[in-house]
Parts: sequence; C-alpha cells; structure tokens
Amino acid sequence: MVERLGENKVFKVFAFLKRNAELLTHDEYRAGHVGFHCCNSRRLKDIRGYSVNIWANAPLGPRLGALHDEIVVREPPGFLELWDGFPEVWFDSHRSWTEAGTPEPTRAMAGGLQVDPNWTLGDGPYLFDPLPDRPTEFRSYHLHMEEHIVVPVERPEHKLVKLVLFFRRNPVLGEDAFVQGVLNHYAPLTARIGGLYGCTLNFRDTDQEAAFRNYYPADAWAFSPEGYAMRRAFCALWDGAIELHVDSVGAFVAARSAPDLHPRLCAAERHLFAANWYVEVDENMIVMPNRGTSPSFYYR
Amino acid sequence: MLKVFGFVRRHPDLTHDDYRAAHVGYHNSYGRRLNNIRGYVLNVRANAPITSTLGPLASRITRDEVQGFDDLWDGWGQLLFDSLETYLSAKTPAHDKAGPRGLEDDALVAAVGGDGPWLYAGSPFQFMVVEHVALPVRRPERKLFKLVQFATRQSGLPDELFRSYVCGRYAARLAQLPGLRGLVMNFRTPLDVMSRFFEPEAEGFTARGIAEREHFYGSWDCMTELWFDRADQFVDGRLAALSSTHLDSLELELFASVCYREVDETVVVLPNRAPAPDYYFR
Repeated sequence: MVERLGENKVFKVFAFLKRNAELLTHDEYRAGHVGFHCCNSRRLKDIRGYSVNIWANAPLGPRLGALHDEIVVREPPGFLELWDGFPEVWFDSHRSWTEAGTPEPTRAMAGGLQVDPNWTLGDGPYLFDPLPDRPTEFRSYHLHMEEHIVVPVERPEHKLVKLVLFFRRNPVLGEDAFVQGVLNHYAPLTARIGGLYGCTLNFRDTDQEAAFRNYYPADAWAFSPEGYAMRRAFCALWDGAIELHVDSVGAFVAARSAPDLHPRLCAAERHLFAANWYVEVDENMIVMPNRGTSPSFYYR
Repeated sequence: MLKVFGFVRRHPDLTHDDYRAAHVGYHNSYGRRLNNIRGYVLNVRANAPITSTLGPLASRITRDEVQGFDDLWDGWGQLLFDSLETYLSAKTPAHDKAGPRGLEDDALVAAVGGDGPWLYAGSPFQFMVVEHVALPVRRPERKLFKLVQFATRQSGLPDELFRSYVCGRYAARLAQLPGLRGLVMNFRTPLDVMSRFFEPEAEGFTARGIAEREHFYGSWDCMTELWFDRADQFVDGRLAALSSTHLDSLELELFASVCYREVDETVVVLPNRAPAPDYYFR
C-alpha cells in the first residue's frame, strides 16, 4: 500500500456544474461562481475545505504533444460540454454536509455578531444550468468521492497547473480488483511522477445519490426521473479521478515521459482502465482545506 | 508587487472570537472580491497567550515589549496587489454576480461589505510593507502554526543597514530552524496608502486616530512571519539556537525590542505571485 492511503476520513463532494449558457460565457461563469457565489458558499457551516475547478480556456491536447495519443484513451466526446466547473468540498461527515446550510452568525451588525440577513445561494439558477419548470433549482451532478491522498498537496504562492485524470474501470475487472489495482499499483507509480506538488486519488462512490440524499428535498430535480437519468449517464463515463498539481503542462509532459516510468504507467492503464483522459482546470482556492483537528473557534 | 497590512481593533460589542467570525466570515467574503486582488491573508491573534505557547522560551527571547501591545490590535489583513494604482481602484463594484440579465455589478464590494462600523473600533492602521521572502511558504492542507516576530531597530543602526542585516545574516540563521516552512520579513514604510483608500472623514484621519496609529508604529519596524507545523518545532529549534548564541547576539545587535505572537492564519485569497491570468481568478 502507498503510505498514507487508507479509509476516507472526510466527506468529500465533487459537484459538476454546467453554466447558464443563455446568460453567461465560460469566463463570465468563472466570475459569477468564484465571485458572488463563493462569497456566500464559503460561509457554509463547518466547511473544512473548498476549491472551485474550472476547465482551462486553452485546449490541453496540443500541449501534451506526442504523449497525448499514449495517455488519452477513449475520451468521451463532448465531455466538457457537460460541465464548466466542479467545486470540491470537504466536510467532517455526511451529517455536517447536509447541515451546512444552517445559518450561523458571521456578520458584525448593530448589537454585535448576527446571522447575515442577506446570505443567499439564490443566484444558482442564473449561474448554473436552469430548469424552466423549477425556477429556484438548477441541474447538477453532486457526487460523493472516496478520497485517498497519494502525495499530500502543498500549495506555493503561485498558480499551479492542475490536471485531472478521469478514468473508467476496465469491465473485465471486478470492482474490488479494480480498486485494489488502482490503489496498490497505479497510485504508487503515479506518485513517482517528478515535480508533483500533490496527487489525490478519488473513487466515485457507487451510491450515486450519496451526496444528494438529505441535502436536497425529496421532490428536488435530483430525484426526478430526468435527474436520475442524467446522473446515471454522466456517471457511466467515469469511475474516478486523480488530481495532479504541477508547475506547468510542459513539466508534466517531461516527467510523465520518463523512460523508467512511462511504459509501466501505460501498461497499468491498459490493464485497469477502459478509458482515461485528462482535463486541465484552474483551481480557485475558496477555503484552504484543513485536514487537522478543527479549531474551537470560527476558522476558514 | 504592493503588499499592504491593515491592523485592526475589534468593535467593543464583539468578543475576540466574535470578531474572528465576523472578519473571517462576512468581511473576508467581500474582501476576497476586491477588484484585481492578488492575495489576501488574515491573521487573528491566537487565543492562547504566547507565554503559554512558547513556555519559558517566550521570556528568554522577548525584550522590552510595548505595554498593552495586545490592546492595539486583534488581527490584521495582508493584501497583495500588482501596483498602488490597482490597490486604490480595488474598492469599486465587482462585476461578478450572476443575475437575470447575466453578469451584474455588486456595489457592496466597493464598501467591502459595509460592515466596518460594527466590526472595527476606529480605522485600520494601514500601511505598505517591503517584504523579503527568505523562504517561500508552501502551505499543506492543514492549519499551520504561524508565529510573528515584532522588532524595532537599534537606534544607532542606520535603517539601510538594519534591513540589509535582517534580510541577510539574520534571515540566513533563522532559515536554519528545523521544520521551518516559510520565512518572510516585512519592513513598514511611510508611504501613504490610507488617503485614497478610506473616506476622508474616517477616524484614522483625526488627530486621535493619527496619534494611536503612530503609537502602534512605534512598537515595531520589522515584522517577520514564520510558519511551522507545530509550536514545539520552533521552541526546540530556538532553544537549540540559544546554546549556540548566534541568534541571540544578532538580535541584540539588530533589535532594540522584540516580541512574538501566534496568529491563526486564514488564506482568504491564496497569493499568486505569478503573472495574473486574463480571467477572473482567486
């Protein structure tokens, strides 16, 4: 086993979101999500970490060069049309996740510390993929992820390149053999890629409703026939994702091509994955994750 | 880049922990949306006294601390901008709110949430610093122990030599402390960064406000940020350095006074010292 791998100690959610394309360009969506929306959502009760990953404007393929055809296999066509960004949030438990919307006093007003009367996530339908017959809701894929730290992330004071390797299980492998193979063979190999600032392996929870349950009401779109169907279709595309933090795409290409590593990673990918592809995302840090003990005072 | 500190005292209606929640919560939520901001870190004084955190070491490495130092501040923000011009134009409406007609302006950002009168007692003590990054910090995904040293220059030492020695010999010694994750020296400058940033009628421009600010400024000339995983790493390393005497003798040579505080650091906007992307990024 890779050192530090083990049971997930946090409740981690990826929420894939398509912008409201009628109202916003991709860059406008960036501003709306990272700006006003996160101004409110960073105050979710007991949140332990929060980043917003938005796919990069420049296509990744040409920058991978000749490596592209070796490390990208059966990328689903139109994958980036399904979403513009995905926040990832960390909570201590499923319960703290479902109770995150509980108001708490975080604003200085006349008389002292008060609940902010203007706190809202009401911009959601303007920001995200709207539902004409449900004006207060929007389409989303909120998915619980089981996380394994392969290389602990350390962030310097300059923008890193973040690459997300999405992968789908090779159907000839059973679920257990697949997970063990990725954990015990592929992840340790990946950790050897030079120049990593961090590497995090995430398996998508096979319970596709884990993040929605008790978070949204039972009559929400997420539990409608369309909500189930879209989620099933999206989840059929991938089973997990590895987050890689590097200085540049060029640095990744050089390190990933190392002759003592490249053939072994490719062989492992052929054995374990039916599909594997990369997306470059711009990581906006909203709440720096704190995996240590939660302080006894308000802390972000 | 332009690095600006704003030291603040909490409003008397707030406890220290109330102040934390309001500054880290509501206020930072607006502050992080200031136009073209490149980095924003908030430091709130830790609840435990430094004598408790550092133990007997605290009194051994502290000299002539200003009386009532903790009454002068509860926390301070550190802002990073590309230039003085971008800093002065940051407090304008932010075009970052999705509404029924697309992306809209949010005027509340121009007032940084408008909560100042209930969050602070008086105006922030706001000034520019020149920094020396002796060891670039890399933050892991857990809360670090952040220690801050406040020091005044020995009166006989010219300012240029003071800065040069602190950034040179002293930084080189400090950087040897085992477990150190980051080391940044900050020298306060007299550049006026308040006049066009705060309203002319702000308390900071009254005679009393100016006097309080000058009193605070008298308590230190250089502020050094140190990051460790744990307090005991600093204590053990500094105790070991005591026996070698190098740091002690350097501090006697350079500093007329020196004291320490632990702060709880909130990374409101992770500083990005690389060129800014051409899209909204925090």
